[in-house]
Amino acid sequence: MEEKMPDHLFVGKSVPRTIEADKVTGKAVYIDDLKRPGMLYGKILYSNHAHARIKSIDISKAKQLEGVRTVLTGQDIPDVRVGFLKDQTVLKKDVVRQYRDEVAAVAAISLEIAEEAISLIKVDYEKLPAVFDPFEAMKQESSLVHEIDARGRPLKSNILPLPWKFETGDMEQARKDSAYTSKDTVSTTWVNQCCMGTSGCIAEFDQNSNLTLYDQTNVIFGHIGRITEYFSQIGLRGKKIRVVNPVVGGSFGTKLDTDIYEFIAIQLALKTKKPVRILFDREEEFKALPPRQPAVFTIEQGCDKEGKLIFRHCEAILDNGAYTSWGATTPSVMMMPMSSLYRVPNVYFKATCVYTNNIYAQAMRGYGNPQATFAVETSMDTLAEEAGIDPAEFRLINRNRPGDQTPMRLKITSCGLEECIKAVKEKLNWDEKQGKQNGRGVGMASLIHVAGGARVTKSDGHGIMIKLDEYGHVDVIESGTDQGQGSPTVISQIVAEALGVRPEDVFLTFGDTALALWDAGTHASRHTFMAGNAAIGACAKAKRQILEMAVEQMPKIIKMGLKRKKRKDPEFVEPDLDFGSIANPEDLDIRDRMIFSKKEPDHPYFNLPLAQILQNGLLVGTGQSKVVMAEEFYDPPTEMLNWEMKGNLSMTYAFGASGVEVEVDEQTGEVKILNLIAAHDVGKAMNPTLLLGQIYGAAYTGVGYGLTEEIKVRNGRVMNPSFRDYQMLTAMDVVPIEVVIIEPIDEAGPYGAKGVGEPGLVPTAPAIANAVYDAVGVRITDLPITPEKILTALKQRK
Amino acid sequence: MKKVSVSFTLNGNTVTAEVPVIWTLLKTLREYFELTGAKEGCGVGECGACTVILDGEAINSCLCPIPEVEGKSVTTIEGLANEDGTLHPLQEAFLKNNGVQCGFCTSGMLMSSKALLDQNPDPTEDDIRTSIAGNFCRCTGYVQIVESIEMAAKESK
Amino acid sequence: MTDCDYLRPDNLEETLGLLKEHGPRATLIAGGTDVMVKIKNTKKPPEVLVSIRGLKDLKYIEKRSGYHIGALTTHRMLEQSELVKAELSALHDGASRVGSVQVRNVATLGGNICNAAPSADTAGPLLVLDALVFMEGPEGKRSVPITEFFTGTYKTVLKKDEVLTEIQIPAEMEHFGSAYWKHSRRKAMNLPILGIAVSVKLDGEIIADARIALTVAAPTPVRAYKAEAFLKGKPMGDEALNETGKIAASTECCTLRDSLRGEAWYRREIIEAYVPRMARLAAERIAQRRSK
Repeated sequence: MEEKMPDHLFVGKSVPRTIEADKVTGKAVYIDDLKRPGMLYGKILYSNHAHARIKSIDISKAKQLEGVRTVLTGQDIPDVRVGFLKDQTVLKKDVVRQYRDEVAAVAAISLEIAEEAISLIKVDYEKLPAVFDPFEAMKQESSLVHEIDARGRPLKSNILPLPWKFETGDMEQARKDSAYTSKDTVSTTWVNQCCMGTSGCIAEFDQNSNLTLYDQTNVIFGHIGRITEYFSQIGLRGKKIRVVNPVVGGSFGTKLDTDIYEFIAIQLALKTKKPVRILFDREEEFKALPPRQPAVFTIEQGCDKEGKLIFRHCEAILDNGAYTSWGATTPSVMMMPMSSLYRVPNVYFKATCVYTNNIYAQAMRGYGNPQATFAVETSMDTLAEEAGIDPAEFRLINRNRPGDQTPMRLKITSCGLEECIKAVKEKLNWDEKQGKQNGRGVGMASLIHVAGGARVTKSDGHGIMIKLDEYGHVDVIESGTDQGQGSPTVISQIVAEALGVRPEDVFLTFGDTALALWDAGTHASRHTFMAGNAAIGACAKAKRQILEMAVEQMPKIIKMGLKRKKRKDPEFVEPDLDFGSIANPEDLDIRDRMIFSKKEPDHPYFNLPLAQILQNGLLVGTGQSKVVMAEEFYDPPTEMLNWEMKGNLSMTYAFGASGVEVEVDEQTGEVKILNLIAAHDVGKAMNPTLLLGQIYGAAYTGVGYGLTEEIKVRNGRVMNPSFRDYQMLTAMDVVPIEVVIIEPIDEAGPYGAKGVGEPGLVPTAPAIANAVYDAVGVRITDLPITPEKILTALKQRK
Repeated sequence: MKKVSVSFTLNGNTVTAEVPVIWTLLKTLREYFELTGAKEGCGVGECGACTVILDGEAINSCLCPIPEVEGKSVTTIEGLANEDGTLHPLQEAFLKNNGVQCGFCTSGMLMSSKALLDQNPDPTEDDIRTSIAGNFCRCTGYVQIVESIEMAAKESK
Repeated sequence: MTDCDYLRPDNLEETLGLLKEHGPRATLIAGGTDVMVKIKNTKKPPEVLVSIRGLKDLKYIEKRSGYHIGALTTHRMLEQSELVKAELSALHDGASRVGSVQVRNVATLGGNICNAAPSADTAGPLLVLDALVFMEGPEGKRSVPITEFFTGTYKTVLKKDEVLTEIQIPAEMEHFGSAYWKHSRRKAMNLPILGIAVSVKLDGEIIADARIALTVAAPTPVRAYKAEAFLKGKPMGDEALNETGKIAASTECCTLRDSLRGEAWYRREIIEAYVPRMARLAAERIAQRRSK
């Protein structure tokens, strides 16, 4: 399926990460390493009740501690509501609704003093009845987590007023038309993103009350939007905000909202008039950082006699915890696999988010897709079994095809799903191994994900500015965040290719709102796609400027050169050159730092260094001196979801399939992964080595999601807030993995590329669940698939 | 606050630190010497981001009381490259083979693997994985880190 | 912030003197992987830390009429010792699985058993190797069998003014094969959900003698005497081994509980499954040693 590609110098090559050498020499400056003059250290006091009234807070001892500069409670700052549904204040004044509620904050001259001050704050609570089960919380008689909404109106229920419902077709008829149906209830729980660099920021106001926020956020402009709104309510209307990324120690979804600790840092900085850093320790990162959204799905599907899907019906209950962040919006992404993974004409999906006194959730790599795909792909296997069709075959029958428009109105352009499923089948030796139930089994699952931007805000734009200096160095001012995915290298490859320089000539700045144009956010696997397209656009403009300069200068330069040669060597005969063939910018191109004639690329004279043209353009002596700079703000022609939750929100979609072979120890329930095949449709691999890294990392996290990871929450309290007890996998937990790259070359993507950051994770857990069933005949429908669950199921079967 | 004076060799240089007695080697490196390569990923020896080499052995510097370092030799990530600034084969390999993504675990990974290669220049994959079992990474899934170390071991021969 | 004294005696005598001088204000620290974590979590260092990390004389692994291991021997030394791997295999298994290389490079065998966690990875192996624990205090030297060393969760017979000096394993254990299984969710950086240590001595196909120890199965590491008694004299085979496993898992041998890391019923399953597996592995190791 690969078209013949022009010969690229850099795109598609595994250019090393030389640009990031600071990371291997200890020079990279993370938020942990950043110090501002006079910086204070902030710490937060959290509640130790899931639901309680605050009767009193005594901060007197904390205030008196030497080295403490300020102690704040909800009484000391304006009562402004923040968050997606504006359902919490920065410091909780009257009621705490979850274990990690922020009750007070301290800024001191050292971390130790701040911690000691926190321990000196005395809070008197009166416990209130709490609810920890979303099903209980939905009932009429349940205690209310919130009594009023953002506008002060009384609430009668814990169910959030969110519009997560998608319907298409005729469900009643569809059920009648189905020859086979299956119904499953599956559930997924909280897991932690486990960024190695913990959450943190430094807030600093200047003399005029403008804010600079050094922050790891992936949504530098989203931050400005939310903080601007906050400012307008605390007497700082009109003040400027600058958000600057340090080197980021991983994101995985944690940095897409403006979190409470960031507002707290801002308040501490405002009160003390000093820069204040808040940095989570690891325990805080496990306890106080919103994790992945849990969900319970009841899913039914039906197909005809030939195995063609007729309907998919799913209801989901989401434990929303005490407040809302992006966890409550994951259903908007769940719609995508629900409506569009495989061809299915009749779809119903409804998600209900329910307040409880548990911890609340935010985004995590995949943003609802891993959860929903676990439901869909479990159901695909159970339905295939009902219909007596091989699970891989069943998926091929219903696969998405290029040119499809899904019920959600997603326009499928390039689609390598068929190749991915077939690759998995082949590499796993599927036909031989499937269906044996002898302790070893194979299972698979597919995915669909946005891969060409994601119009979740009214602009899905991404801006890039580039300028060249007179030596041929290119400065690229990027408006996204480098979170370690390799963007500096990939974008330098794209710029080098598009402009005709080398990657080492490209210098990039990321994540600074004072410099960057605008970006919707480094999320939804969109960075390479958006930045790449913006870069190509900007480079085309810059190239045009350069070549216009070149057509002006080249004849002069060449003639002077010829004259010089003649002076040195009187025997030299000046050639008769046809400058007409390089009279227009369209006649020239740039490649590997050289400007050359397209008609005669090997012409002995029509070949000049880029730097020479740039220098001549700048250092003119008299007349108009020129600098080369260009920008491109790329906002793709996509749609927002309408009130029916339909709309083509991305330019293209990623597809893939994961297949797993497992061996299950029937005595102990332990699962060993013998082989993991991850086949991905990536459009075009910009940098194969970096691409593999994205897929390996995502797949590994998917294995953790499937087998070992869970945040254990009991009565609202996180019980395993450490690496010792949170089961993220180590290097000793070997998962033999093979990646298959399918490149259908998408026309919308930069050089044909699609996004790949999240897809690697999505199908892994359901593939494992399906493989376990194939191995020992028990289906675990509740993640993670622990040995205990398998053993219990095996015993029950006997 | 009681202070202690500790003299030791740091990246080949003799140094003396005057710091509170209860400071760890990690805190001393980061705040007294401003060598911020070693990171505090957990503070309790559970993640490996603070790994440095003490007398040839990889240790969690967050668990090492600074007085223990007296008279010993400490190597940190800042001392890994050659004197002339050229990179150690491990550093080259990590850049070439994508062993680095966000980079937060990288200092620790490099020091664990340096300690390994210094003791065992021809390690098996199992040896490599054992040596970095105490270094968590969320970005890479460890695959390209193991490959980078193998690459560096080959280069060094 | 409370202050702290960090003392580094050069030898055992000096150490004992300091412990006497400072009494209850003093805490011993060796590798620090337990003590430093406690300090970080409680945010309060002890008033006096007496570090025995420098007592190089207590770092050794020797075989001379029995096995002698200095209390300050690190887990890494045990892991890298061919002698321990071949002849004290269970101890090798246990020591190799503690934490990470970084932890094993400094954490000591003495520290591991003095910390006396019910999950200590070297405890089970030492129990099935009939270890003897040697201590020294102001009143002189004394020793207790490891079976009497642990008195409760995180409690031992070691007095506050004593220092653990050596662990001895009797010469007869050379004729035993041993193995230790650490059951955990992932392959490194975990405390065990359950630990099973087994040592066996064979007489042809008959199990002439056996020891079985369980960790995270009772408030202290324990021997499963009833299971051992059953196994002695039986032939190596599924029937005997499986029954042994069942007895070891029963309330006759242990008091399993539900905890954050695992539930009692599952721990029972693991004991039943792994006692036979470790017995077989232990027997295999005798054969391997003989063939060398």
